[in-house]
Amino acid sequence: MIENFLSSWHLFHNSYLAGWLIGLILALIGVLVVARNQIFIGVAVSQASAFGIALTMWLGAELPAGLLLGFNAESLSPVMAVIFSMIAALLTVPGGETGKETPEAITGWVYLFAGSGAILIVSHSPLGLEEIYRLLSSSIIGASATDVLILTVLLLVTTIFVGTSHRRLLLFTLDPAMAAAVGMKIKLWGLLISSVLGLAVGLAIRTSGMLYTFGCLVLPALIAKSLCREVRAMFLVAPLVSLGAGVLGFILANHYDFPPAQMTVALLCLFLCLAWAWRRFRNDLIKSP
Amino acid sequence: MKRKKRGPAPRLLWTRLEEVWPQQGRILTAPELFRRENLGFVPQRCDLNPTLSTTVREFVLLGLVGLRGHRRDREARLAWALDQAGLGGMAEKDYWSLSGGQRQRALVARALVRRPRILFLDEPTKGLDLAAEDALMQSLTDLNRRESLTVLFITHDLTLAARYASHVALFHNGKVEGGSIADAMNPERLLSTYGVPIAVSQETAGKVTVSMGRGTDNQ
Repeated sequence: MIENFLSSWHLFHNSYLAGWLIGLILALIGVLVVARNQIFIGVAVSQASAFGIALTMWLGAELPAGLLLGFNAESLSPVMAVIFSMIAALLTVPGGETGKETPEAITGWVYLFAGSGAILIVSHSPLGLEEIYRLLSSSIIGASATDVLILTVLLLVTTIFVGTSHRRLLLFTLDPAMAAAVGMKIKLWGLLISSVLGLAVGLAIRTSGMLYTFGCLVLPALIAKSLCREVRAMFLVAPLVSLGAGVLGFILANHYDFPPAQMTVALLCLFLCLAWAWRRFRNDLIKSP
Repeated sequence: MKRKKRGPAPRLLWTRLEEVWPQQGRILTAPELFRRENLGFVPQRCDLNPTLSTTVREFVLLGLVGLRGHRRDREARLAWALDQAGLGGMAEKDYWSLSGGQRQRALVARALVRRPRILFLDEPTKGLDLAAEDALMQSLTDLNRRESLTVLFITHDLTLAARYASHVALFHNGKVEGGSIADAMNPERLLSTYGVPIAVSQETAGKVTVSMGRGTDNQ
């Protein structure tokens, strides 16, 4: 099985590396999303990113090339994916002000608007519809060396960000009121985290699609949450779980000829069930005299 | 004394203390006391996600955000804060396995881990039963005496203020009136602040008790 996988390496190594890098980046950021109980934001941001790609395709088909400043739709779509996912992430920053709409309601609106809008925009273009369905269903095959390079840089930046400010991130995530009291600018931190989330999802979605992006964002963090006794340990466990599931998923998918993204997400779902069972067992053990 | 901006009293005390200025006389303070590293803050509630596991140790160490220090220093601060808050030996316990009173003590420990010179508490006894309330306030009184820690708590409970505070500040309609407990806690001031008659009785030892109703009783 492993030999089969290694023999496919020279053909698909960029796709494999991109898939694992996306898993690592999103697992790190996912800890913040899960700790703040904002899981639905992940899917809304992913959907907004797909909307950006659909909009670029429509503009590419409808507008003369000159109006796209010389760029073609293919090269503009990752930029638009990032821009729209960042806008969505910033729109859903919890404000908490009385009289304003709740973040959940805004998140729901972003998801529904982006979901319906993406399909409507490309509904008269067979190629566009095909691309949107590909994004929604997820396929990591086709990543380039440039994708791998960009994702490596993003992983380094994210790791440094989390490593150097994990205590502040924890306090901001767990208790924003206390974070403000010790002098942290919580609005700025909210914007910073949302920007990182938007950037990561926007870059991941074009390479891996919605299912894999959303799966890697929330599932490893949820598994880590069930396994860890402290939140800070989740920053280590979630990426390891993501990488482990990614490696196993790609090997199994290659051997049994299944799509690797779906295989990885299915494995993560299975691991989550096992983690829930472990957590329940551990809690029962603690409660028993 | 008058404050510049209106707003909830707890937020005013925490964020706008420097904006309180006297209408008469001077306020004598040591400015260095009001540097963030010298202030500890215990919020009324903590919106921790209850599905997240965390230990008392991790929770309390979050109070050190913004302060530099080596691992040994952090451990010493943690042990001291937990002891002071009555949670010694509980560092590795799951935060969610603590009782309501112990969680409130964990909040106090998180503020104390900064080794503050002034400790602010916002409604510290809210939601606690009488025994837990008394134990917590007694711990704070001990801290005040033993560690010379200035404790400033916000409460709507006049009985609690009368029992444990040496000085009070009454906030009403954007104005603050304050003084020693014996001076500030008089029926006229309380009537103008709360809009209902409140009886005040002063014992010879200087202890003040309050109750709903009219009249002053000096024993």
